[in-house]
Amino acid sequence: MIVGFAGTRLERLEWGGWIAVLLSGAAMVVGVLIAIGEMLSPGTYTNVQFTWLHLPPAPGAFPNGLSLVMGTLVDPLSSLMLVVVTVVGFLVMLYSIGYMHHDHGLPRYYAELSLFLASMTGLVLANNLLEFFLFWELVGVCSYFLIGFYYEKPSAASAAKEAFLVTRVGDVLFLLGIFLFFSTYALAGPAGSGGWAANGFVFVVGSTSTPFLASAMGGHTLLLTIAGLLILGGAAGKSAQFPLHVWLPDAMEGPTTVSALIHAATMVAAGVYLLAITSVFIGFTPADQLAIVAIGGFTTFFAATMAVVHPDIKRVIAYSTISQLGYMVLAIGAGFAMVGLYHLFTHAFFKALLFLAAGSVIHAIGTQDLFKMGGLRKRMRVTAAAFAVGGLALAGIPPFAGFWSKDDILSSVYSQLGTHPDYWPFFLLAFAAVFLTAYYIFRAWFLAFSGDHPRDPTLPEAHEGPWVMQVPLVVLSAFAVVAGLFVFVPGFQSLLLGGAGVAGIPPTYGLTDLGLSAISVGLGLGGIGLAWGLWGNGRVFVLAETSALQPVRRLLLNRYYFKDAYDWIGLRAVYSFARAADFFDRFVIDGTVRGLERMFAAASDRLRSAQTGVVSDYAAYVVAGLLSLFVLLLIVGPYLLARFGGG
Amino acid sequence: MLPWLSIILATLAVGTVATFAAGARARWVALATSAIFLAEVGLLLASYPGWPGYSGSLVPGFSDTETYSWISIAWMHVDYAVGVDGISLVFILLTAVLQIATVVYSWGESQRPGAYFGLVTLTCLGCFGVFVSLDILLFFLFWEAVLVPMFFLIGYWGGPNRRYAALKFFVYTHVASIVMLVGLLALVFYSGATSFDFSSVYAAARGLAPVVQTFLFLALFFGFAVKFPIVPFHTWLPDAHVEAPTGGSVLLAGLLLKLGGYGLIRWAVEVLPSGLHSVQPLLFVIAFLTIIWGSVLSLAQRDLKRLVAYSSINHMGIVLLAIALDSSLGLLAAVLLMFAHGIVSALLFMASGSVHHQYGTRDIASLGGITPSAPALSTMLMAGSLASLGLPALIGFPAEFSAFLATWNGLGYWVLIPLVVLVVTAAFYLWMMQRVLFGAKKGVPADAHDLPWYESTGMGLLVALTVLFGILPSLLVNVIVNSPIKGWPGT
Repeated sequence: MIVGFAGTRLERLEWGGWIAVLLSGAAMVVGVLIAIGEMLSPGTYTNVQFTWLHLPPAPGAFPNGLSLVMGTLVDPLSSLMLVVVTVVGFLVMLYSIGYMHHDHGLPRYYAELSLFLASMTGLVLANNLLEFFLFWELVGVCSYFLIGFYYEKPSAASAAKEAFLVTRVGDVLFLLGIFLFFSTYALAGPAGSGGWAANGFVFVVGSTSTPFLASAMGGHTLLLTIAGLLILGGAAGKSAQFPLHVWLPDAMEGPTTVSALIHAATMVAAGVYLLAITSVFIGFTPADQLAIVAIGGFTTFFAATMAVVHPDIKRVIAYSTISQLGYMVLAIGAGFAMVGLYHLFTHAFFKALLFLAAGSVIHAIGTQDLFKMGGLRKRMRVTAAAFAVGGLALAGIPPFAGFWSKDDILSSVYSQLGTHPDYWPFFLLAFAAVFLTAYYIFRAWFLAFSGDHPRDPTLPEAHEGPWVMQVPLVVLSAFAVVAGLFVFVPGFQSLLLGGAGVAGIPPTYGLTDLGLSAISVGLGLGGIGLAWGLWGNGRVFVLAETSALQPVRRLLLNRYYFKDAYDWIGLRAVYSFARAADFFDRFVIDGTVRGLERMFAAASDRLRSAQTGVVSDYAAYVVAGLLSLFVLLLIVGPYLLARFGGG
Repeated sequence: MLPWLSIILATLAVGTVATFAAGARARWVALATSAIFLAEVGLLLASYPGWPGYSGSLVPGFSDTETYSWISIAWMHVDYAVGVDGISLVFILLTAVLQIATVVYSWGESQRPGAYFGLVTLTCLGCFGVFVSLDILLFFLFWEAVLVPMFFLIGYWGGPNRRYAALKFFVYTHVASIVMLVGLLALVFYSGATSFDFSSVYAAARGLAPVVQTFLFLALFFGFAVKFPIVPFHTWLPDAHVEAPTGGSVLLAGLLLKLGGYGLIRWAVEVLPSGLHSVQPLLFVIAFLTIIWGSVLSLAQRDLKRLVAYSSINHMGIVLLAIALDSSLGLLAAVLLMFAHGIVSALLFMASGSVHHQYGTRDIASLGGITPSAPALSTMLMAGSLASLGLPALIGFPAEFSAFLATWNGLGYWVLIPLVVLVVTAAFYLWMMQRVLFGAKKGVPADAHDLPWYESTGMGLLVALTVLFGILPSLLVNVIVNSPIKGWPGT
């Protein structure tokens, strides 16, 4: 299963990259076969596990010790994710052969990317939260390595650190959430289940129709709510949801291939996947659901606004990723885990496509600045078409993939508004984001590809990449067109219904609410139209300096000052405190010691007169010392014993 | 049944003498000694319950015990009594591994190699003795025997301020030793034990009144805790590390700090349960203080070695917390953490030492972008940092995870303190790596070269163990849980 591990060998040879490509290709074949097997016999759960570590008992929670297991669980959710990870992984590997051709440190690159794929596969197949956490951290560290791939660049090294630290905050919350969930289970689990010891951290296999804490929530709603919020915190770190979103745009310092694979299609989706498995296997309380809906809905809009003004092609797509992840979170919060995963599935393909197309542009002209580009469609027809397909899918224009999944999310949430009126504001934010999405992605397309010639004449002549770069673009374009239609294939639909029954609402796919779909498509077309009006055909829209919108633009360009605030906390507040503590340590704690030392030195000067050199004197000291020791031990001690011992 | 422990002691003793005598060829003798030592420890492990391949039933308790009467005057019976259980075995393994790694790493030491390698071997001999002694006076003898070689290692091979650091180290630990000795003697006298032997003291101490146990525990705790070290008795550690030669730092962080933890578990926690119970709140406060202080201070350090030293304080704070929890899981976590920290801090000190050898400075601010010129060194430093910040699949993770689980189990939401500190720990390591390894080149001479083979071999061994025990922590855990402590399964 974890075929990719073999790929982590040191590949020093010229053709080393091809080893990684072949191995990931093999992994893809296995992954797709597993998914097909799952489609043919829907609802099967194949679990294989072994005891990794048996911990000794601790009072109360697990009187017989605690077995921690490692295992793989193949079920509808994981096989869906497996397809995403292995297919996108293989295509990105293949693309890398062309894209990374000129870079140094290629063995390191392919080894890290292979390790990432192996870890991501492990994460997807994990059958318990601890194992999930383990691989979760491993994909995090791979992301750290790969963001910092160009480590000579200070900005890349800094972005890598930022990504690790911000997600680490989420990880801490996540770990505490695991503890809390399972100690709640020890309290509330069925009698005789033995609490933690019996189930370890393993998901209850084959019973997804009843999330396993839902049956026994009893009087522990508060604990479960806190646990759910902590899990949400972990997911927000990994999936770059507000307020832990800051690291993802900076993660664009890594190679574009890495952005496509890790920071668009797979790793950032791990947070969404975590929320999905939690809601399917464990269950969220209503308060948690509202919190998840709020975070998701708000992030969707919030991130889209920042994408509207950004001049960097990769960062525009990165904000778009944050925004789209918000949609998925929103769907899961409203109780539709599988609809969220469906969007994850389609999004993985069209977002990887957008990144690889952007990478193709960067590879050709060596800049990421949209305002230097222009007219590229003439020289890069494949790339321009691919980016357009990705853009249409992202904007939710039928029949492209994004339309189907995004539409299902909106209509699913819409169907809950009757019973949950407090979802309204977040639904509206998410709905409004449809317009922004269409606008920002086509602003990027028009800036890069339309017009007659690049705005910066010094750019090199653009050209398409080699075939290894074009093939993934074409394949992903095909997916971006048809992936949404998969849902009409009965087998695939049964896959998506696998985790149904969450909160008792069966998901529906396809066109359910024509009116709603019409409005959303209208918004999407409107966004594209506005982009055309402002940026189409080589036009450049310049916001007047006196415009009332200037402060808004500056606020957006400065990312609502979130990064500045975090930097201030990290650098100014914490570091200053640490320096002050260091001062205290050196001069107060150690200073006291040195003061004592001087005192003793002075005292010993005076005591030197006792050092007579006469043996009998020393003997007397020894006797005196021993006597006082005995007095201490034999008189003072028993006194204390008699005084306090009885009580 | 062969007297394995005496054979090992004899090996180390002969090895020490031979190394001192060997002069220029000392490194070969030291290498041979440590290789034999490691092989013997391997045999010892292979015959111990819990290690894979052991086919007998699990018999918790000391094994390989040997007792010979040593001093017997009137009512005073001092024995040569040695034996091992799961806990001491893990520390013995650590000793053997660090000895061979240190010897290989220091292969290039040219300044009086006979004395240098002899002192390294002697330090390991002392640590081994501490871990196997089952008699209070024998224990104390070995305990003190460790101080002397370390004093000379720092004082002779150390940096510019070595005399101050060596003296500070000696005075601190010696004062603590004396308090500890008083505590140990009082333990024997008050309990009315018939000898200084662990089992008789253990049995007799049951009858002590809680208040006496409390006082005795405090005395012993003070003695052991300075070695940990705990805040505010920690300032000797950064100074000692900064001045010590790399090999000295490795043994200091990897083994000497562990003596405190081991002593606390063996002679205080196991023997004086009511004492532990009554001072628990105090220990928690000290542990939290140590955890926070160590990690915040690491953030402020500019010297690589000082940074690692303060992070050691942070980790040993978690050890103290786990011990103070007074649960089997907590003790397991503490032992595992100490093993993990022993390997990882040794690795980090070696890497810092190599940075110093290659670039002539350990000042973080005057270094930068060393990775292209020294990829192997960077990899080692990075591996050590990632292991130290608790990355899964490396040894720190199972240890920290069990510690947090035990803390959550015993103290509930207080676990937030070490968990939040985990973010700070990640921060100072990542920030250090960003400044030293990545970015633009700074302080890198044109002829900078990567590690010599012996340094990379020494560190490579430790990295391999970090990964091995990170993926298969059950190798250690199953050995540790076969210990005669209340609450282990089967006792």
